Amino acid sequence: MLKIVLETVGLTKRFGNVTPLDGIDMQVREGEWVAIMGPSGSGKTTMLNILSCLDTLSEGQYILDGIDTSKVSEKERVVVRREKIGLVFQQFHLVPYLTALENVMLAQYYHGMIDRDDAIEVLNRVGLSHRYDHLPSQLSGGEQQRVCIARALINQPAIILADEPTGNLDEANEQIILDFFKELHAEGRTIVLVTHNPELAEFADRTVRLHHGKVVQHAA
Amino acid sequence: MFLLMLRQSFFRGRRRKLLATSTIILAASLITALMTISIDVGDKMSREMKSYGANLNLVPKSENLPLEIGGVDYNPLKGEVFLEEQDLGKMKEIFWHNNIAGYAPFLKVPAKLEGKGGAAVPIIGTYFSRLVKFAGNEEFRTGVREINPFWRVKGNWPDDSKTDEVLAGATLARKLGLKVGDRLTVRYALAPTQPEAVTVAGILSTGGAEESALVAPLALAQRIYGHTGKVQSVSVSALTVPEDRLSRKARHGADALDSLEYDRWYCTAYVSSIAHQLEEAIPSAAARPIWQVAASEGTVVNKIQLLMVVVTIAAFIASGLGISSLMVTTIMERSREIGLMKALGAADWEVYLLFLSESALVGLIGGLIGCGAGALLAQLIGLSIFGATVSFHLIVIPVNVVISILIALAGSLVPSRLITRLFPAEVLHGRK
Repeated sequence: MLKIVLETVGLTKRFGNVTPLDGIDMQVREGEWVAIMGPSGSGKTTMLNILSCLDTLSEGQYILDGIDTSKVSEKERVVVRREKIGLVFQQFHLVPYLTALENVMLAQYYHGMIDRDDAIEVLNRVGLSHRYDHLPSQLSGGEQQRVCIARALINQPAIILADEPTGNLDEANEQIILDFFKELHAEGRTIVLVTHNPELAEFADRTVRLHHGKVVQHAA
Repeated sequence: MFLLMLRQSFFRGRRRKLLATSTIILAASLITALMTISIDVGDKMSREMKSYGANLNLVPKSENLPLEIGGVDYNPLKGEVFLEEQDLGKMKEIFWHNNIAGYAPFLKVPAKLEGKGGAAVPIIGTYFSRLVKFAGNEEFRTGVREINPFWRVKGNWPDDSKTDEVLAGATLARKLGLKVGDRLTVRYALAPTQPEAVTVAGILSTGGAEESALVAPLALAQRIYGHTGKVQSVSVSALTVPEDRLSRKARHGADALDSLEYDRWYCTAYVSSIAHQLEEAIPSAAARPIWQVAASEGTVVNKIQLLMVVVTIAAFIASGLGISSLMVTTIMERSREIGLMKALGAADWEVYLLFLSESALVGLIGGLIGCGAGALLAQLIGLSIFGATVSFHLIVIPVNVVISILIALAGSLVPSRLITRLFPAEVLHGRK
């Protein structure tokens, strides 16, 4: 049996009277690809924010790679974030004044160690060997997303958390990104992907469906 | 990586950075100008005050015994004891010799005119504008024309090297109907001596006792008096620094100071320490500071400096607030970038460091440019107020750059707290 990388027990988030997440129980094992789906307002983004340690939970537990993040301080949560998680955003969120290579190296810098060769290698892997000296504004949407993926991979995180990674891309680029995720999955990477795109979820091992902050379906 | 980010991000948002730098430049130039003038204002004021006459009086020590009752001096030795004229050069050998801007010896002779009813006419002997030599054959022009620029002469100033030309005080000239070019014969009033023939070279207005006397070259007065090489008193014009707590304490005598205070006092150009050194140089003399001049100089300088401090603080606060509002805009505009850094695992202090370093850089550049602009401004102010350029002290540069960086940092400190309150979840994909 593969080890559990991510586990939530009764995960609840409240904003005043609103409860966007209500008692979520979920497990993700090493090498698994899980898609979290649901309509707008179902709590997908709140879920991703908590899973990526960008937000705290109100009740329950969230254990990531053996660390109970609900019990750690803000400072330790920062450490968990940089040591364990690789983030892929819908909006790419690249630093506009840094080149593709520098954007990847930025993640290395906050992780503690810069290795230019490693960063170049990862960019080569995502097919940007000829573009790493370009600023984000000089790259297409698909290329920017590839830089974002390279940045998520560079520190060998325990888990890759992706938020609608193809949401801002055309069909051709969507396919390229999808192929990357398949490749990463094949390598044994653990991936949690939030999407409302059924085509993307189709390739996941499992789909967790949320509705009004509750899990309504775990489907293989 | 940090330096790379700093370099790259520094050139973003140029319009805002330019505004921030301009704010600092304005403040820095104002502070530089005020600081430069503030440092120099003591000297400048001191020179200005020199036009009001001497600030030290040198008299023979024995005459210095206080014997004044009801404003009348009963000292029996007054005018009867002398200083040696040849000792006066020693004044230019003291520690603060460069600060001795000028001096004029005086010898007052009771005399009377031959003819004109034998009117009693005091003759005051002095230097008008004489080149004197002192240690090492150095030359120095001094006399009443140098230390009392407010003395006015209708006609010509007598030549110090001639002994037959005098100035007639305006009151005396009116009384006796003297005019320029008149020939007079004078003699010592208290004993029969050889009469001297003199010519009135000019009519003198001073607003003082000299207006009722004939003012003659010192050598002539000495000859009439029969006291060659003697003077009764010397007015000294010294460039001094304004009075402060230490110099006021020293007024009770050098013994009132401990050794450290004494050293500091001795090596500062206070009117009292210069007086002390003059007495050391000429042991037979007592130096009396003219306190009204010294004290008013101190008061004026202190008030100017206080005003400058207030303006500097105002500039500091105003530019700090300017920077502050620019920083708030910057942080708001770059909130995504900040959120991203945090999401990638940057600690708050790492983000602070980037933004504060940018501010410090703005402070550094603004401070350096401001120093240059301020130096020019100081010259303009110096020329328009004192009619002379202001000397620029290099110490102003580092001090001003540090102040500029502090302004930039202080202005950024409060807004940068926004960084802590910025949640990556909110700026990257919204909380809900």
